[in-house]
Amino acid sequence: MASLLRQVSKALRAPINRNIAACYQSRLQSTETANVEPPVETRPTVRKFDAVQRTQLKDFGKYVAECLPKYVEKVQLTAGDELEILISPEGILPVLQFLKDHHNCQFANLTDIAGMDIPSRPYRFEIIYNLLSLRFNSRIRVKTYTDELTPVESCNDIFKAANWYEREIWDMYGVFFANHPDLRRILTDYGFEGHPFRKDFPLSGYVEVRYDDEKKRVVIEPLELAQEFRKFELSAPWEQFPNFRRALPVAEEINVDKKE
Amino acid sequence: MAGAIKRTTGLTGLAVSKYPHQKLGVLYGKILRTLQKIPETAAYRKHTEAVIKERAEILRTTPIVEEAEKKINCGQLEEVIIQAENELNLARKMLTWKPWEPLARPPPPNQWLWPPAQPVKQR
Repeated sequence: MASLLRQVSKALRAPINRNIAACYQSRLQSTETANVEPPVETRPTVRKFDAVQRTQLKDFGKYVAECLPKYVEKVQLTAGDELEILISPEGILPVLQFLKDHHNCQFANLTDIAGMDIPSRPYRFEIIYNLLSLRFNSRIRVKTYTDELTPVESCNDIFKAANWYEREIWDMYGVFFANHPDLRRILTDYGFEGHPFRKDFPLSGYVEVRYDDEKKRVVIEPLELAQEFRKFELSAPWEQFPNFRRALPVAEEINVDKKE
Repeated sequence: MAGAIKRTTGLTGLAVSKYPHQKLGVLYGKILRTLQKIPETAAYRKHTEAVIKERAEILRTTPIVEEAEKKINCGQLEEVIIQAENELNLARKMLTWKPWEPLARPPPPNQWLWPPAQPVKQR
């Protein structure tokens, strides 16, 4: 009986093993063939991209990199049709001024400035500028990086809209903007300490606020949790989205080599 | 209505320019003179000169405002004037920034990697 069971289980396990091997191989292939043009998408629920628009964006990315080789580190397309210019922090003012004032760019509208915190990087903060060109009906994203101590040049002189956006970044991430006319906190409460969007800022904060009946006022006290922090294991043992295993790469780098 | 006097640009705060051709001629001259100071190999100079010379040629050959606007195809001539002013401002700043130089220093390793590289685990 036991030997029979063993045989059955062996027979059952064999195809599973083969499946795993096939999955592994396909995943390997998907990483290896990341640069090859993906096959034509026919599924009706998946968004298709305009090939003409993509080539135009690629050409424009190359154009910007050619005009500003001192600052542009990398150009890439993300999400299929979003152009990103990744620049060094010294180049914020020149690149933004170029994108705003050059005849072929005219990105006169600063839609948003965003921040991002990745503590594992030596320059942990990313500053992301989203620009819009009403003249050419196109958008572009400019990304740069900094750490806690290095100030970033404020682009308030170029885009007046940057004033509050930079204050938000300063409030949430603690990135200092040099030459900003009025760098105060903007979103957090009076007397708040710390920068809540940093990854090392605890979810519960450091203090709690309550109304004290005896003192007849609101008091701020250090946080006392009734229960210890619990460690939740949030990652599942199985793969949730196997269909995304062969999804397109996150970003597609545009080669800006000058020899071409 | 081709010869009617233009009353408004239809854009807030943008007045009708009486002599757009002269104004643009002056601005384009200034831009080209500023670009002379940039090295000839710089891509920014090449591309900007091409745009400016093309527009100057259109303005030289078509004295009628509406036709010139149609040929330039970048808004009304008043807007084209603003674009030229911006370009002049940019070109003058470019002289101090010198963006045609090669990349000053390479980006830190793994800076632009996504998903981000995980720190090496201590054992």
